[in-house]
Amino acid sequence: MARARGFALRAALLETGMLLTGVVFAFPLYLLLTLALKPQSSWASDPLGLPTQLFFGNVTAAWTQAHLASAMLTSALVVVASTVILVVLGALAAYWIARRVGRLSYGVYLFFIAGMILPFQLALIPLYSTMRELGLLGSPASLILFYPGLKLPLTIFLYAGFIRSLSRSYEEAASMDGANQWQVFWHVVLPMMRPITGTVVILNGVFIWNDFLTPLLYLSGSRWATLPVVIYTFVGQESGDMGLVFGGLLVAMTPVLIAFFVLQRHMIKGFAGGLKG
Amino acid sequence: MSGVTIQGVRKRFGAVEVLHGIDVQVDEGAFAVLVGPSGCGKSTLLRMVAGLEEIDDGEIRVGGRVVNDVEAKDRDIAMVFQNYALYPHMTVAENMSFALRLAGAPKAEVRNCVLEAARILGLEPLLERHPRQLSGGQRQRVAMGRAIVRKPKVFLFDEPLSNLDAKMRVQMRAEIKALHQRLRTTTLYVTHDQVEAMTMADIVVVMHAGRVEQIGAPLALYDEPANLFVAQFIGSPAMNVLRGTWTADGGSSRLVTPEGIVLPVDGGGPPVEAGTPLAVGFRPEHLELHDTGLDAEVVVVEPTGSETQVLMRCRGTELVAVFRERFKSRPGETVRVRPATDHLHYFETSQGRRLAAAG
Repeated sequence: MARARGFALRAALLETGMLLTGVVFAFPLYLLLTLALKPQSSWASDPLGLPTQLFFGNVTAAWTQAHLASAMLTSALVVVASTVILVVLGALAAYWIARRVGRLSYGVYLFFIAGMILPFQLALIPLYSTMRELGLLGSPASLILFYPGLKLPLTIFLYAGFIRSLSRSYEEAASMDGANQWQVFWHVVLPMMRPITGTVVILNGVFIWNDFLTPLLYLSGSRWATLPVVIYTFVGQESGDMGLVFGGLLVAMTPVLIAFFVLQRHMIKGFAGGLKG
Repeated sequence: MSGVTIQGVRKRFGAVEVLHGIDVQVDEGAFAVLVGPSGCGKSTLLRMVAGLEEIDDGEIRVGGRVVNDVEAKDRDIAMVFQNYALYPHMTVAENMSFALRLAGAPKAEVRNCVLEAARILGLEPLLERHPRQLSGGQRQRVAMGRAIVRKPKVFLFDEPLSNLDAKMRVQMRAEIKALHQRLRTTTLYVTHDQVEAMTMADIVVVMHAGRVEQIGAPLALYDEPANLFVAQFIGSPAMNVLRGTWTADGGSSRLVTPEGIVLPVDGGGPPVEAGTPLAVGFRPEHLELHDTGLDAEVVVVEPTGSETQVLMRCRGTELVAVFRERFKSRPGETVRVRPATDHLHYFETSQGRRLAAAG
C-alpha cells in the first residue's frame, strides 16, 4: 500500500511538473495570439485577457505593409527544396550506411557525424566567399545549396538510426519476391521510413524556416528575402506599432504551427523508433 | 516443382566456421524439417538455400540447377520469415500480389492468383486490411499466401510458428501440413521444436553444432537414433540414459553405473566385451512398474489426463516415466520400475554412436 501511495504521489508530482512546463512554453504563444488579435488601444486595459472580439487589423496591415506574401513564398521555396533534397539524399545515404557491413560505411558515417559536432560558424566566411565566387549570392539557390549541406549530418544520423532498428527481413522478403536493390528501397524501405521522414521534415523545415543569419548574409541587397529577415526589418521600421509587429509574427509562425500539428504524430513515432508490423 | 540438393556446404562468419560440410537431399515434393538446438546452423543453411547468405564452399542445387551464384530474386524460391516480414504499408492483397506485380503480370492474372490463394487460406475477408489489423495467426496465413501466390519451386519456412501461442501453433501446424499435401511443393522447414519436426516432416534433418547428426523419417529417428544426441533431442520427454560399465557373467548381462544402479538385460545386448563403458537409453514410455525393478523415489507427478509423466530419482539419477494408466503413488513414495528390455538403445561413450543389439 505504502508503495502504491508513493508511486501515485510521484506520478502526481511529475504530471504537475510537466503541466507547469507546458504552461511556461505555451505562455509566449498565448501572449502573441491575444496581443496580435486585439487592437493596440485595448492592450493597456487588459494585457493578458482573451480578445472580446477577434480583430484582424494588425494581421492584415502587417501582411500588406511588410510584403509578407512574397517573403513567405521565398521561405516556402527554400524550405521545400531544401527538405526534399535532404530527404532524398539523407535516406539514400543512410540506407547504404546502415545496411552495408564493413569499415567503409562506418567511416562514412563517422565523417557525417563529425559534421554535426563541428560548429557551422567556422565555415561562415569560407562559405560566403565560395558562394560569391559561384555567383550565387542574392539568389535562393545559395540557401538551397547551403541548408542540405548543413543539415545532412543530422538527417543521416536520424535515418541511419531508424533503419538499423528495422528488421532486415522486410528487405530480404522483398528480394525473394523478385525485387532488385532499387525496388527494395523504393517499394519497401522508403514507405517504412515515413515516421522518421516526418521527424526529418519537421526538424529541418522549422530550422530553415526560422533561420535568420544565413538568409541575411546571402540574400541581403537582393529582391529575395525570407520571412525572418523581412520581419526583422519590419520590426525595425514599425517598432512604435507593436500591434503590427505581433500581427507579422503571427503570420510568420502560422505555417510552422500547422506543419507541426500535421506531422507531429509521425515525428513522435520517428523519435520512438521501430515499426509495428 | 523441384528437389533441393545440398552438397558439402560450408559457411564461415569471419574466422568461425558455422557449417562444417552439410549434405542433404530433399526429393521433389518432400517436406523436410531442419531441426536442432539454437545456434546449430539450421537457419543459416536455410538462408543459404534462399540466397540470403553466401555459400563459402560446396554446392546447392534447386531442381538440378546450381544456384550458388544465383541471386535470391532469381531462384524462384519463396520464404516465410519468423516475424512474417509483411510489408506494413501494404494491404493483405498488396502484400500477396507484390511479387506478381514486380514481375509485371497482367492485372487480371494477379487478381485471380491472389483470390485463389486467399480462398485456400481463408483470407478473403481480410484482403483490404493492413498487417497491423491482423492477429498472429492471420499474419502467418498472409505470409503463407504471399509465398504460394507465386507458385515457386521451393518453399522455405524459418521458425514460422515461434511467435504464436501454443493453441494457435498446433492449428497452424496442421494448416501448413494440409497446404503441403494439397500443393506438394518441395518444402524446407526450420524449427527448434522437435514436436513440430516429428509431426510435420516427411524427412527430418537433425543438426547439431554445424553438422548433420542424422537424416530420416520421423519415426525412424525416434526408434533408431544414430547417436546419443539424436536420442536425447528427438522425443518429449527426452530419452533416459544411464552410463556405466557393461558386465557379463555366465548367461546374464547387466549395466552397472558408478552410482550403483544395476540394470539387468535379459538376452540380446550390444556386441561388446565385458568391462566396456556403455550408455543405455530407454524412452519414458518404456519404463514400466515391476516388482523386480529398480527402487526409485517419486519426485514429481504431472498428470495430463491422457497420460501421467513422473519424475523419479534412482540412486541420485533422475529418470522420467510416462504411464498411460492412472498413477497412484505420490511424491516421496518409492516405486519399482524397469525398462522394457526389447526397447533398450545402446551407445558407445566416446562418440555417442549407436550400437546394434546382438541377435
